[in-house]
Amino acid sequence: MVPVTAYLILAAVLFGVGALGVLISRNLIILFMSVELMLNAANLALIAFARAVNVVDGQVVVFLVLTVAAAEAAVGLSMIVTIVRNRETINVDRLNLLKW
Amino acid sequence: MTGDMIIFAVSAVVAVFGAVMMIAQKNPVASVMFLILSLLAQAVCYVQLGALFLGAVLVVVYAGAIMVLFLFVIMLLNLRGREDLGLSSHPMNTITKFLLVVLLGVELVLIVKSVFMSGAVGGMMAKPTDDFGSVAQVAKLLFTKYMYPFQLTGVLLLVALVGAVVMARKDRSEIAHGAPSEEAVNEPTAGKVGR
Amino acid sequence: MTTAAPIIDLNLMIPEIFLFLWACLVFTYDLVTKRKSGNAVAWLALAGPVLTGILTVVMFSAGFYGYGKAAGAMFEVDPMAVFFKIIFLGAAFFAIGSSFGLLKNRIVNHRGEFFGLILLSTVGMLFLAASREMISLYVGLELTTIPLFVLAAFFKDDRLSVEAGIKYLIIGALSSALLLYGMSFLYGLGGTTDIWQWKLEVARIAGKGEGVGVILTLSVITILAGLGFKLALPPFHQWAPDVYQGAPTPVAAFLSVGSKAAGLVAFAKLMIGGMVAFWDPVMIPNDWGILTAILAASAMIVGNVVAVRQSNIKRMMAYSSIAQAGYIMVGMVALNDFCLSSVAFYMFAYMFANMGAFAVIALIEDATGSCEISTYAGLSRTSPALAVTMTVFLLSLTGIPPLAGFMAKYYVFAAAIQSAGASPTFGFLYWLVGVGLVTSVVALYYYANIIKQMYFHDRPSTSPITFDAPMVMVLAVALCGVVVFGLFPEPVLQFARQIPPPYELFQH
Repeated sequence: MVPVTAYLILAAVLFGVGALGVLISRNLIILFMSVELMLNAANLALIAFARAVNVVDGQVVVFLVLTVAAAEAAVGLSMIVTIVRNRETINVDRLNLLKW
Repeated sequence: MTGDMIIFAVSAVVAVFGAVMMIAQKNPVASVMFLILSLLAQAVCYVQLGALFLGAVLVVVYAGAIMVLFLFVIMLLNLRGREDLGLSSHPMNTITKFLLVVLLGVELVLIVKSVFMSGAVGGMMAKPTDDFGSVAQVAKLLFTKYMYPFQLTGVLLLVALVGAVVMARKDRSEIAHGAPSEEAVNEPTAGKVGR
Repeated sequence: MTTAAPIIDLNLMIPEIFLFLWACLVFTYDLVTKRKSGNAVAWLALAGPVLTGILTVVMFSAGFYGYGKAAGAMFEVDPMAVFFKIIFLGAAFFAIGSSFGLLKNRIVNHRGEFFGLILLSTVGMLFLAASREMISLYVGLELTTIPLFVLAAFFKDDRLSVEAGIKYLIIGALSSALLLYGMSFLYGLGGTTDIWQWKLEVARIAGKGEGVGVILTLSVITILAGLGFKLALPPFHQWAPDVYQGAPTPVAAFLSVGSKAAGLVAFAKLMIGGMVAFWDPVMIPNDWGILTAILAASAMIVGNVVAVRQSNIKRMMAYSSIAQAGYIMVGMVALNDFCLSSVAFYMFAYMFANMGAFAVIALIEDATGSCEISTYAGLSRTSPALAVTMTVFLLSLTGIPPLAGFMAKYYVFAAAIQSAGASPTFGFLYWLVGVGLVTSVVALYYYANIIKQMYFHDRPSTSPITFDAPMVMVLAVALCGVVVFGLFPEPVLQFARQIPPPYELFQH
């Protein structure tokens, strides 16, 4: 039996990698995918906790979070389409009309 | 025991490898592929943790549909290799950020490890019932106890639908005075009036 | 496991459902009239929050509510929910009312969608205010922010607007991922998603001497970071000025009041409702009271100091709203009987002043196309009424005595002082109030700078500004609110005092 701790550490590592992606990536699409990865890491933690406390509620939460993530991805991607249309770039460094 | 451990070890390594490769790629298509790889490995972990249904949902919906949507947008916009992207051009800045994140990751792992090794939650892992995480059990909770948030996500999907249409749609007035595009060439130039 | 189907008592959700249907009506009306509805669709949308507000107040005063729970205790209408619902609906009213000017040339297509999305975001806020459980809180928060991403980027051919939208999207998604990660730890500790039961369960575990401290700290840090992004508290504030500058002005106004109030509700529910018992420094080494106090102090300092250097009025207002969030958090960390009521009253007063100021900014932007502070030079000569109105709003934001902003600041600081005097643990609140008072003086400088521009410049840079009917209405309502609730705050305060104290937030 693998201890639940191992899964939680995996979730923490994935969350960290996602955060790293958000901070260093210059490509808008990869940036957005890194955020999705962070959400997935949180989902993995929820599933692991659901197993640890032996209550299925955590899995239902993950189901709802997947729905929310899908909605967010739809809006985000359509916004990326718009930005490519009028700026011809997905480089975050070049989206600098506003000071970050 | 060892069988489980080996499966976990392999899937964990693949999941982290996929995630790291995803952020290290220059080409967004390859990036999507590595994220799908990572998600598949995570789905294995889901199944190991008793979440059979959600493992399937993760593969079918997330890796199968949402990631394909990403791929579709990348292809649609023809973004492959058009400009030099990849990592940031300010090295100092990147190194600082990198150190920051490494520190964050190490801290997270250490904290989680120390807490759970001490047995606050990790010790609670009891043998689950046979139907733990089955479709029936998840569905039962979803449609009884969690009916209310479930319906709220319905409203959220309406918002996403409207929002995506508003954002991605090319309006006629925009074509008339916006940047020249393929559609603008095909459209009669008289279409300056908004719809 | 047997789960009985909970009765979803739709009676309690009548205002929310009504507003949702109203948003659908707005979409449909715009479609049916072939998108040539002119201003009619905006008037229709404006009626939505007004009618919902009347419905909420009538239902509350008829005793229809009173700690009613629905959907298996996931949805609860308590005085805090009702109070914040009024704030959300007010913010939506002002935002819609001040966007009529955009219909002339900025928003040609998708008028119904623009107003419908504002209403749907408000629906999300209403559900958020009534949630007492983690996942419905999370979904409510997402329902609040996802329409705002689209609204911020609504001028699709304006590069600034699209850039603002994408920045807000990344930051919003990041903050909700942080929040969810923090909440997953909470779920793991208590084994339940209900905040009240979670509190009892964790208190029980902690009582048995099993360590929950470190993991609770971890979840506190991630949740505070997530909410810090939502509330734009430094160091998580970088996005706010950019997004406010690029977004359509009414949307920026709605972000600064509605979205901020939504973040405050989430904070009150998760941190104060769920974790007030664990504030004890013995249990958590890095207790969240101190962390929040640090965030509040940095918000007051950074917001006020950086605002001085801005030349664009929307960026200045963004920094000023960061500073205002700092003042609000001072009330939050007081954690005594007055903390939530003072915060609610502050938000109420802030709504009138801030939405009013943004309405003036929107009006001037529609007339001149500029948001530079220099545009306001000599406004008192060309449009004296407008200059007086703007002056009143700015003075209220500064906190000058007879106006609502002063009463709000007074109650927040009084709550903090009272708490600091009552227990030595809260001694740091004296420092916090001190920082608040000093930075208020800095705030006076940059607000007064605009007043100086309006009154002490001989050569006006604008021709006289013309008003349309909805704008007159919005400005009049905001002006009345700022003056009347400054002179007679008692009725609103009476209502705000019904909000339960921190330890009993979800007890009913």
